[in-house]
Amino acid sequence: MSPKDKRHQEIINKIRKIMKNVGDDVLVEGIMPSLEIPKVGYDNTVWSDEKRMLTIGNKTVQIGPNSSKKIPTFAQYLVMANAIRKLLDEEMESTIRGMYYATLSTVGDEKNQQKFWSGQDDSDDAIKAIELLTNVPREEFAVTSKPKGMISGPITLSVGGDLIDCNLGSRATSQLIPTNIRDLEIVNVKADFVMVVEKDTVLNNIRKSGFIQKYNAILLTGSGEPDRATRMMVKMLNEKWKKPVVIFADADPWGLGIALRYKIGSESLSYDSDRLVTPNSKVLGMMFSDIDEYNIPKVARLVATQEDLNRANDMKKKPWLQDKRWKRELNLFLEHKEKCELDAFFKYGFKYLADTYLPNKLREAGVI
Amino acid sequence: MTSKVTTEVLEKGTKQVKNNLQIPQKQITKIRYDKKAESEFFVDNSALAGFTGERILYMSVRELIENSLDSCEINHILPVIHLRLKQLDPLNDLWTISCKDNGVGIPSEKVPVAVCSFLTSGKYVEKQQRGLFGVGLKMIAAFSTKDTDHPLRVWSKSEEESEYYFDLRTDIGTNKPITLFKKNVKNDESQLEYETGFKVEAVLRAKLSPVTKNKIYDYISQTSIVNPYARITFETDDGKVTFKRRTEIMPNPSREVLPHPSDMDLKTLKKAILNFMNQKTTLQGILSNSFQKMSNDKAKEIISKAGLPVKPADKYDEHELIRVVNICKHTKFQSPNTDHLSPIGEKILTVGMTSEYSIILNKETANSGTQTQLSAKILKPALTAYSSRICVVTNRPTIVECGIAYGGEIQSFKLFRFANKIPLLYDEGSDVAREVISEVGINKMGISKKEVKEQYSHVETKSDRTVEYLPIHIFFHICSTKIPYKTAGKESIASEGDLKKYMKSCLSDLYRKVSAQIRRELKLKEDENKIRLYKHYIPFIVNAISESIKIDSKRLSNAFQNLAEKYVSGEFTNITKQIFLNSDQNKNEEKIKKTLVSNGEDGNKLSKFDTRTNILKSSNKIKLTKVEVPRKVTKK
Repeated sequence: MSPKDKRHQEIINKIRKIMKNVGDDVLVEGIMPSLEIPKVGYDNTVWSDEKRMLTIGNKTVQIGPNSSKKIPTFAQYLVMANAIRKLLDEEMESTIRGMYYATLSTVGDEKNQQKFWSGQDDSDDAIKAIELLTNVPREEFAVTSKPKGMISGPITLSVGGDLIDCNLGSRATSQLIPTNIRDLEIVNVKADFVMVVEKDTVLNNIRKSGFIQKYNAILLTGSGEPDRATRMMVKMLNEKWKKPVVIFADADPWGLGIALRYKIGSESLSYDSDRLVTPNSKVLGMMFSDIDEYNIPKVARLVATQEDLNRANDMKKKPWLQDKRWKRELNLFLEHKEKCELDAFFKYGFKYLADTYLPNKLREAGVI
Repeated sequence: MTSKVTTEVLEKGTKQVKNNLQIPQKQITKIRYDKKAESEFFVDNSALAGFTGERILYMSVRELIENSLDSCEINHILPVIHLRLKQLDPLNDLWTISCKDNGVGIPSEKVPVAVCSFLTSGKYVEKQQRGLFGVGLKMIAAFSTKDTDHPLRVWSKSEEESEYYFDLRTDIGTNKPITLFKKNVKNDESQLEYETGFKVEAVLRAKLSPVTKNKIYDYISQTSIVNPYARITFETDDGKVTFKRRTEIMPNPSREVLPHPSDMDLKTLKKAILNFMNQKTTLQGILSNSFQKMSNDKAKEIISKAGLPVKPADKYDEHELIRVVNICKHTKFQSPNTDHLSPIGEKILTVGMTSEYSIILNKETANSGTQTQLSAKILKPALTAYSSRICVVTNRPTIVECGIAYGGEIQSFKLFRFANKIPLLYDEGSDVAREVISEVGINKMGISKKEVKEQYSHVETKSDRTVEYLPIHIFFHICSTKIPYKTAGKESIASEGDLKKYMKSCLSDLYRKVSAQIRRELKLKEDENKIRLYKHYIPFIVNAISESIKIDSKRLSNAFQNLAEKYVSGEFTNITKQIFLNSDQNKNEEKIKKTLVSNGEDGNKLSKFDTRTNILKSSNKIKLTKVEVPRKVTKK
């Protein structure tokens, strides 16, 4: 048996153990079975000073068929667990959407018919629950999501043995970050530092300007909310390959939130922070203070919506955002009620962002 | 100035005409002032009586049944009514409608007038009756005369008279009956088998759409709800249904009463004076004898307030009398009495609600094609409750009655509206009862919107009012000598005066009365839903397990199902325990039990309640031994 197969067998056994417990509860003990799952969310998210990231607390939830709301959930979890077991048994891999389709069915008789899943969100939740139950990240189930992260620069990846050089000379395209990370290895990194940006449009602009060649950097984006593979890539580059990581996002509460996903983690994935979070990364921009400092023209600034303001107020209350720096930024935003996208620098010319703003910021931070 | 000129011109004009002088004449249309016979007026304006196109047959059914019920109740006769509606000539849309009852009948010499002459009625008195205007039957007679060459056939047998038969038509131009034929019916040809009775048969030209047909069914079945003491047979081309008599109790007949002084106007006062014309009674005497709640002293006080000189009553002029009227409007009197009203009453309405008939149209496909067959089904609810209010709405005494039937064979929400025991079927949306229902929150039943929507999530209702998710029938009955109808069609009631307030308090009261029971019903429903959920989801769970590990899936499935059932029923005893521990709740329970038992006047018909209360008692006992959470109970 290859080591991977062995790992598969371990996971399969874990799932079988869960099934056995449920069966025993009913047949032997004669009690309502129940699954104990760590609670995920704000009220079970704890800041760890030692790790400098968000971690999951001790709270758990019981999912058992003892309330009418939980009966479907309980069944859904078991069905998903069984589907994952099958997937591993067959040595196949699947996306989360694939898992949704594989387990799709209808429940009930003609009179009271409904769908087993009301949507993919339900099945995604079930996959998450199995991760938590087995304490195995879903990538090891061979369940992945559609790749959306992108990378460019002097780095060579090996995906299932195929070598991929991301230093694409044409400046015209980037490499998708594969989500089947079990098959992914970083072979070589020649860059001096890693720059993460929020959006792929901004990444394209920077890449086209020749930034990579000029500063010997790796450019990386999660195309908005980063998926797990992107976050893990950043972490690996920082911790295994010792490359400094800087992050640029839009100057609005959502952008700041995305930047912080890389740096401190998120509430919904707090149980997986150890694999995903890069505490040493630096969030350099775009700061709310930059809006005035770089004198972004009024016309390129956006008025904050009520939703933005609510979100900023929410963020201010989070215990892990009590750091003076974040508080100052959020207060500034709440005071001026203005936001700004990185794209706003295009107002000063298409090369301003890559030629002026970013180098300035990087110099200030001592990265270049 | 100008008027003078005009008269001069006119005078000149007339002179000129007299002199036959040719001058250009103004076009003058001469207006003729004719008197129209009542019959002609009503035929021309048939919508006033509700007789419009589609609704002719519906209104005819309505008028005939109402007349029959009135004529039975007047003498406290348990009604037996036979209504027949058959198509006579499909090509020309001719229908034969006939209605036979065992009411008091009409004396033979009065029959032609009573049947054919508009605005002739034995009901022009101050008391609650279904019909009031003396229009309904006449309308049928007039339409039959107008549209067909068939005579109206009438059989009547009144007290101390033998049975008479008539062929009648209406002279629409003069509002007079035409008696084509009249005879004393011999025993062997008799149509009326009871001591007294009345039968009328008419041919009408009308169209009957499926919608109207259903309205007729609704009308008859709803009539049977508020008149469970009547035996009503309904015969159509689709078959025959009988609504059996479910109780012998009849409501007390309404009595004629004197008008209330706050309702006085010049007309009523003058009429009162006229009544005492030859008796040399003083105005004071007339007032105290002609109006209720008017003592001699009170009458004296009013006359002195009005500052009227003493003189014979008929010598007062209108200017003096109007002062009496005005004073009366500003004086406080005791609330009017309600002897002239005849509410349905708790006993009778409860019987009606617990044996609610609905007409079902069965379609059978036989060799000879599809045949429809009418049948009636009784819907037994799990519980009912009743509440009423006596109130004064714009000076008219009014009784509001409200009933609730819940669960059991009742599947969905329905609102029943009655005015003076007549079902109201149209314009529900604009009726005050609708407003009342949406304004009284169901939290008065001790249940929340969320609970209801969860348990009845499958119910399809266009409304977002939560109460409409429940399997509940709500009944409103308004009785008054003057119902504040919204339209001339008499199909919806307006929110006049404090009527809505009283209806709301009545409904709130009911909600509170049934709260404990509804909660239990809801709990039962929840259990039922839960068991169904288990039934649906256990196969998924068992399948997931048995695919993953070696296990006896049948045994697992059975064990799981048993566990689930025990779990659900165990929870139920727990909940009942909580209800019974609450002493207030307990009292409430007692009250309802009493209500229910007292409702059960004629025994077995209400057995459903008794069983339910019994269930309650027994589960109460069980709970003492079974307080533990069920999972431990099963862990032997």
